Amino acid sequence: MARRTFRGGVHPADKKALSRDAAFRRYEPGGLLVFPLGQHIGRPATAVVKKGDRVLAGQIIGEASGFISANIISSCSGTVKAVEKHRTVMGVMAESVIISNDGQYEKMPGIGEKVDYTTLDGKEIVQKVKDAGIVGLGGAGFPTNVKLSPKNPDGIRYVIANGAECEPYITCDDQLMRTHADEIVTGMKVMMRLFPNAKGVVVIEDNKPEAIAAMQKACETESDISVKVVPIKYPQGGEREIISVVAGIDIKASQLPADAGCIVDNVATIYAIYQAVCESTPLMEKAVTISGEAVAEPSNLIVPIGTLVSELFDAAGGAKEGTVPVKVLSGGPMMGVALATTEVPLQKNNNAFTFLEEDEVAAAEKQQTACIRCARCVHVCPLGLNPQMMAVAAERKDYERYEKVLYGLECISCGTCTFTCPAKRPLMQLFKEARNDIMAAKAVKRAEEAAAAAALEKEAAQKRQEEIDAAVAAALRVREPGKNLARASEAEQRLAAQSEAVNNVDEKVEASVKTAIKEAEADLASNAKTTLGNKVTDAVRADVADTSSEEKSVKAIGKEDAK
Amino acid sequence: MNQIYHVSSSPHVRSRLQTGPVMYNVIISLLPATLVGIWRFGVRAGIIVFLSILAAVASEAICCKIMKKELTIKDGSAVVTGLLLALCLSPLVPFYIPVLGAVFAIVVVKCMFGGLGKNFINPALAARCFLLISFSGTMTAYGVDGVSSATPLEVLKGGGAVNVTQMFLGTSTGVIGCSALALLIGGLYLWISGGITWEIPASMIGAFGIFMILFGGQGLDGKFLLAHLCGGGILMGAFFMATDPVTSPVSSTGQLLYGAIAGVLSGLFRVNGSAADSVSYAIIITNLVTPMIDQFIVPKPFAYRKKEGESFFSLAAIAPALVLTLITLIAGVALSGVFGLTKDTIEEQERAAQAAAYKEVVTGAEEIVDWEEGKAAVEALEGAVYGSDFGRVYINDAYKGVDASGNTVGYVISVTTADGFDGKITLAVGIAADGTVNGISFTELNETAGMGMRADEPEWKGQFAGKNVERFELMKGGGSTEDSQIDSISGASITSGAVVNAVNAALDFYAANGGAAAADAAA
Repeated sequence: MARRTFRGGVHPADKKALSRDAAFRRYEPGGLLVFPLGQHIGRPATAVVKKGDRVLAGQIIGEASGFISANIISSCSGTVKAVEKHRTVMGVMAESVIISNDGQYEKMPGIGEKVDYTTLDGKEIVQKVKDAGIVGLGGAGFPTNVKLSPKNPDGIRYVIANGAECEPYITCDDQLMRTHADEIVTGMKVMMRLFPNAKGVVVIEDNKPEAIAAMQKACETESDISVKVVPIKYPQGGEREIISVVAGIDIKASQLPADAGCIVDNVATIYAIYQAVCESTPLMEKAVTISGEAVAEPSNLIVPIGTLVSELFDAAGGAKEGTVPVKVLSGGPMMGVALATTEVPLQKNNNAFTFLEEDEVAAAEKQQTACIRCARCVHVCPLGLNPQMMAVAAERKDYERYEKVLYGLECISCGTCTFTCPAKRPLMQLFKEARNDIMAAKAVKRAEEAAAAAALEKEAAQKRQEEIDAAVAAALRVREPGKNLARASEAEQRLAAQSEAVNNVDEKVEASVKTAIKEAEADLASNAKTTLGNKVTDAVRADVADTSSEEKSVKAIGKEDAK
Repeated sequence: MNQIYHVSSSPHVRSRLQTGPVMYNVIISLLPATLVGIWRFGVRAGIIVFLSILAAVASEAICCKIMKKELTIKDGSAVVTGLLLALCLSPLVPFYIPVLGAVFAIVVVKCMFGGLGKNFINPALAARCFLLISFSGTMTAYGVDGVSSATPLEVLKGGGAVNVTQMFLGTSTGVIGCSALALLIGGLYLWISGGITWEIPASMIGAFGIFMILFGGQGLDGKFLLAHLCGGGILMGAFFMATDPVTSPVSSTGQLLYGAIAGVLSGLFRVNGSAADSVSYAIIITNLVTPMIDQFIVPKPFAYRKKEGESFFSLAAIAPALVLTLITLIAGVALSGVFGLTKDTIEEQERAAQAAAYKEVVTGAEEIVDWEEGKAAVEALEGAVYGSDFGRVYINDAYKGVDASGNTVGYVISVTTADGFDGKITLAVGIAADGTVNGISFTELNETAGMGMRADEPEWKGQFAGKNVERFELMKGGGSTEDSQIDSISGASITSGAVVNAVNAALDFYAANGGAAAADAAA
């Protein structure tokens, strides 16, 4: 079933020579560390510290709020300077805990305690991972404890350690595998305790011979963990590509790796799992690559999370002589996000910062021509999509065709098509716009549906009330006192049941309205859409108010009736 | 560090590939064919190539200027169009032909539809078709060093034998880019360098081959098939024209279907239509189907294919395309059926018309019979141009007219000239035994109405009758005084000249083949 490689893909210059042999250096920042509360997919954490609080390294400063969320852990000791909005690598202002570092790195008690993972059961392992605030460190930032809790753990056949590291420039996973191979293998064994039928596979691209050797050596004694060497090709490290190669199964965007019997985690994430479970150390620091043509000493650093990127740049020797960085990327050049400013903190899910002295996109804009339909994008798309047609549909805003006919939402934004395009069309940008528009439209639709559902519920509540009224009236009509009493108590019981039902409805409506409002508010870019969203939410709120007042009156009548 | 850095959407690196180099690669792949063409057909071919490219680039520059668009000649697409057009032209065409064609290709087909990437049919092919329709005679006159001869495909169509080796190497007659070997080398290079994919050439050549085996009339005759594959632009079409990305589908399945349609149409047009130009029309028509193919054949992403190895499309997705192919096929078969049914009738009518025309020019003839000596002389010419000072004149046939008692009363020589204003003119020249012209009669005349067509009026063609001269001379200004002088039709001196030359050729042929002896015998 396993395949040699996936279909499509490209070979951008990997530029890894800049930093591939730079051994890890630990860097400890001074000054301020910034911890955005939303460093992961899902709801932002809730701050549990306030201005002036003293915190220790390893202390939870933001608690996961909801199922898909993650704890935020302080990586230094010091005083909370503020809990306020700060700019993040995504370019937005987001609620963050800002800690003024005292430089002591005083740790929470118990950190570093060795634990024998074989004494732990699955639940305890997942809890430890959750407490440690671990999310996918490869870039996505999906809470790992959620990933480790699939519906059917027995159906998991592969635990995949993703060491492909296919993004150009980035070398920290390479270094991590070279230096912490045993820990990564132990981390995999911890994960495999949760999945009794799983085999472990470490996937590494063949441009990392040292890492391959180290990992092979570490799994020598393990019968059910092996190293799979794959040919170098971007985007080999993509979750769906790696599953395709290991399990021979292609999954849809709407599916989870678990549907293909796979759990995929970056090697850095697995190392973090090892630290959390076996060494009682939450996710406080991580390996990052600081590289690029404009960096004096391209480095692989171990850095506390929350360190400002500007400091990391200085830690790597600052600008290379004779160069000026014009573009700074969090991540590599294929999928990385361009930073407008470096006054943003390192997040859990950042694994590299790349400082470029040339902006190839600006150069490409000058070379742009019309699409000549050469279909090179079609041939390289790792998902078998048709970017040429998608771009046409996106330009025309024909989202119906984009989504339904061309499967545009399957796109993983790997940028392969855009990289290849000889006409230098801004394909990726078009696809991102299209996705945003489609998602916003969907949010509006969901809000409308929630409002409609609320209206229906209200109607049902009214009907129930009428029934209760009738029952009460019937009870009152009966003369016999004994029967009357029985009927009254029966009515009361029914009433109680109905009230509960109404309560449930209220909660449901409220919850759905809340999410709808949140999503609508978050997604709606234009004023018009916002207005529509507001209208919808207003309507829903009014409905909710109606329902609850009605419920009160029902209760009052019921009580009277009982008397 | 409060500097603001550049931001943009990912990816932040781009491949080195650009539209320009993509086009230059096509030019490189066309070089072998171009060089062989120039080597074979001489400087004239080189000039045609140069003029075509120059006109294409210049008209694109002017278009950009007029339309206030960014100058796009650097992307090399105009050069490709010009070169492709030139390679599809006969080396004998006058120099205004490539210029006109290139201007048409760039201005009408490309720029007016929005420039690069927006044309709906291949500009070079569209220009070729435009020229074929507008200047059919000039465009279909092939030859080497100013000497006309039939192309292998014309010979093949006429049932003759051809030299496949010559066709393969490009040393036969044809368009400038007619070397099959050079085209194959170029095509292979283009494929290896990633300029084209295998789907279109493979399916087009495959479909064409199958069609020729089934309907070509010669079955699995290897030589016949090779000749058809090497000639008539199938290779040029399959590797360089049909693969034009702008006008071909983007998906692999779509390309296979597209190639198959182009191949079948090429075969259909070649078997039932004009031998030499089938591919141009076939590809142009297939170009028009491309948007439909792209609309309906959309590859499914991998995860949506049901099982390992399932092909790129579902039946539902290709149903419209299949229906379309079917309709094309049915229409083709129906057309060829009608053609077959009416063929004999048409030929009979033509023969009758011919006989009538021949009788008309021999006074007192009861019956037209073969003139053995003349026929032998015609065969000896092997279809080459007759003489050196009559222009592109061919002697088709020779007959004699006999009276009721079987005495020869005159001779008929059928002559075709390719120098007409709108193509070929065929006429029968009736000559009495003593060499006096009895009269002329046109069996093929497609000149401009009201101008060249006036040659068929008795006032004009009557000028030849009853005159016994060695050569006629055209008086462009009119005012003829002597027997040998013929007044030109006003405004149609090209037609007039062509006819005069044709008559002179007939007289020359008559004189050279025992005309005098025959006259003596008659005397």
